[in-house]
Amino acid sequence: MITGEAAGEIRAVVPDVPTLAQRLAAVDYLVDQGLAMSLFLSLRLPQPLLLEGEAGVGKTEAAKAVAQVLDTPLVRLQCYEGIDAAEALYEWNYPRQLLSIRLAESSGRPLSEQELFGPDYLIRRPLLRALEHPGPRPAVLLIDEIDRADDDFEAFLLELLGEAAVTIPELGTIRATHPPVIVLTSNRTRDLHDAVKRRCLYHRIPYPSPEREVEIVRRRVKGASETLAVQVANAVARMRDSDVQKPPGIAEAIDWLAALDLLGVERLDVETVDATLGTVLKYSEDQEVIRAAGLDQLVRSGD
Amino acid sequence: MTESFGVETIQLDLPALVGALSRRLHDAGLPVPPARAADVARALTLVRPVSRGTLYWTIRSVVVTEDTQVKVFDAVFAEVFGGGSDDEPEVELEDVTTVPDWQNDEAPGSTSGDDDESEQEIPLTIASADEVLRTKRFDALAPDELAELYRLMTALELATPLRRTRRYEKRRRGERIDLRRTLRGSLRTGGDPVRPRRRRRRVVPRRLVLLCDISGSMEPYARAYLQFLACAAGCGPNAEAFAFATRLTRLTRALRSRNPERAIQRAAAAAPDWSSGTRIGEALRAFNDRHGRRGMARGAVVVILSDGWERGDPALVGRELERLSRLAYRIVWVNPRMAADAFSVRAGGMVAALPHIDALVSGHSFAALREVTEAIAGEGEAPPPVVEPAPEEVEPDPWPSATPVAGSSVAMPSGHGPSRGNTTPGWVTDE
Repeated sequence: MITGEAAGEIRAVVPDVPTLAQRLAAVDYLVDQGLAMSLFLSLRLPQPLLLEGEAGVGKTEAAKAVAQVLDTPLVRLQCYEGIDAAEALYEWNYPRQLLSIRLAESSGRPLSEQELFGPDYLIRRPLLRALEHPGPRPAVLLIDEIDRADDDFEAFLLELLGEAAVTIPELGTIRATHPPVIVLTSNRTRDLHDAVKRRCLYHRIPYPSPEREVEIVRRRVKGASETLAVQVANAVARMRDSDVQKPPGIAEAIDWLAALDLLGVERLDVETVDATLGTVLKYSEDQEVIRAAGLDQLVRSGD
Repeated sequence: MTESFGVETIQLDLPALVGALSRRLHDAGLPVPPARAADVARALTLVRPVSRGTLYWTIRSVVVTEDTQVKVFDAVFAEVFGGGSDDEPEVELEDVTTVPDWQNDEAPGSTSGDDDESEQEIPLTIASADEVLRTKRFDALAPDELAELYRLMTALELATPLRRTRRYEKRRRGERIDLRRTLRGSLRTGGDPVRPRRRRRRVVPRRLVLLCDISGSMEPYARAYLQFLACAAGCGPNAEAFAFATRLTRLTRALRSRNPERAIQRAAAAAPDWSSGTRIGEALRAFNDRHGRRGMARGAVVVILSDGWERGDPALVGRELERLSRLAYRIVWVNPRMAADAFSVRAGGMVAALPHIDALVSGHSFAALREVTEAIAGEGEAPPPVVEPAPEEVEPDPWPSATPVAGSSVAMPSGHGPSRGNTTPGWVTDE
C-alpha cells in the first residue's frame, strides 16, 4: 500500500536500527534499544506506533525527532474530549460558500453544488494535511493523547490507521500518495480499543537511567556543566523514588537545569534547590514531602 | 536441508519459528493474531537480529500491545530462547495462570456443608425466589443463588449524572445555529437559508469508577460485588472497575465479557491478593497516582465498596480521599456493615473517609443496591452520618460494630475461623 518512492526514501534514511539511533542522537533525541527498534519497525513495516509512558518522558519529542530525521513536516493533532471530524479532518468554509452563492446570484453566474463543495471551500485540518503531503518523504503525523478523545473518535481513526485513507462524503475517499508516519501517544486514562491496538505497534517509554538522563539534559541545555547535570539527574532520580504524586519527568529535569544555568549556578546547594524547586515539582504537597525529607539529601552526591 | 548453510536454515525456519512462538504466547495468555504473526516474520527479515537482545526487542516491539503483557512475553521468550536475559528478569508463569476456582469453593456465606439444603431452595417459584433473593444479605448467599442474583443485577440501571461535552448534536430547539446543515438545506431553496437548523451541546453520562475491597474482611461480599462490578463494567465503555486488598488491580478488561462466569473467573485470576489484608489508603494512593490524576477520576462518579477496616494508617485514607474528592464529581462509599443494627462509624478508615465522601450507603443486599444506584445517580439521599467520637478499641475485638448474622461468616473475621481453612487461593496471612 505504500508507494515505492516513499518506501525507498525511508529506506535510504533509515537502513537499519543503529543508523536510526545515530540519526536520532544527531538531532538530540537519545533512544534505548527498545524505542529504537519500535521506531525502526514503525517506519519500515510500516505501521503506526502507539507510545505510552509517564508524562514528560519524551513521547511527543519522539515524533518530533523522527520528523527531523526524515526532514519532513510534523503534523500534530492534539486530542481532547469531543474532538470530531470537523476539527480533526476537514470542515467546509461556510461563510465563503454563502458569500459565493450571493455573488453568483448578483452576477447571474450559475454556481453548481459540485463547485460549492470543491477543494476551494475545504478547510484542511491536521489529518487531511498529513495525508495530502506531497512527499517525497511522508509527513509525520502525531496524534497526541488519543486517550483523551472519546471512543467514537478512535473508530473514526481506524480507516486512517489501517489504510492511510479517509472518506469525505462530498469528495469521496482520499488516499495518501505518501502515507504519513503515524505516532500515537496515550497516558492510559482509559484503555484503547483492541481494533486500534491491533493496527499499531506498541512501546512504553520508561524513565531513563541517571547516566542516560545526564546525556539527555546536557544535549538539551547547551553549555550546562557536567557536574550540575549529574547533580540534577541524581536529585530528580531521588524525587522519583520518593513519595511524590507527580514524579518529575525528563522535561522537568531539563527545565530545572535550564533555570539553574540561567541563574549561573555552578554547583547545586540547598538554597538554590529551595529557590528553584517550583521548576521540578508542581504540587505543593510534593514540595512539602521533599522539603520534609530534607533538601540536603538531594544535593548529596553519589550514594 | 540440514546440510545447507546456517543462514539459509534460519530463513527456512522462520515461519515455523514464528508459528510456534505465537502458539506458545497464545497459550500463555498473550494473543497473537495471524496478521501480527506475519508482522513478526517481516520484522525479523527487516532487522535480521544477530544478538539475543535485538531478537528480544524485535519480537517484543511487534507482539506486545500493552504494558501488562510484558511479564508473560518475557517468560515465554525465556522459555523458547533459553533463560539468562540481560534485560529482563526471569518470571515464572505461575502467578499469571493460577485461577481461583470459584465453582469448587464453598460459597462464603453458606452454612457449613449443607449442600442439599441450598439445592432444596431452588424449586420455589421464580417470583418468590426473587423476593427472597432481593432482601437476602450477600454474605448469606449460596452459589446458585449468586448466579440467580447476577440475572437480577443485569436489570439494574446504573445511570451517572450528565455532563456537557464539547460535541454538538442536532436539536430542533438547540441554542446555536448549525451552519453546516443550514447551508445544505439552503441549496434546496435556491441558496436562501430559509430554515435555520439548530444544534446544541451533547450531554453524556459521567464516567463511573468502581473500587472494590476484596480483602479478608470483605470476603463474604466479594463475589456478589464482583458480579455487580461485572454488570457495571458491561453496561458501557464509560465504566472502570478496580479491586484492591494489599494492591490495586484494574479489572475493567477482565470483566468485559458476555459470559459472566468467565468474566468473574478472569477477574479473580487478575487480582493476586484475594482475601489478604486491607490497605485502603495505599490502594487509593495507587489509584490516584496511576489513574485518577491522569484523568480517569476527573469529573467521574467514584464508588468505593469497602467496610473501611484499614490495616495501615487511617490518616492516609483521609489524605488520599481528599485528593480524590478534588478530582471526582462525587464519591459514594458502599459499606455492607452499615446494615448491622448497632452500626456506627468506627472503623478507622471509615472515620477518616467521612469528611470527603458525598454519600454512604449499605448495599448489603440486592434491595439495598437500589440505594447504591440512587447514590450513583445523585438522587437526594441522606448525607453521610456525623462522626461519633468513638473510643479507640481496635485491637481486642476486630468487629465491634458488626452484628453477626445467623448462618453467615461475619461472626469471625473471615479466614480466621477454624472451619474455613484455606479456601481461597492467593491467601496471605502475613499480618
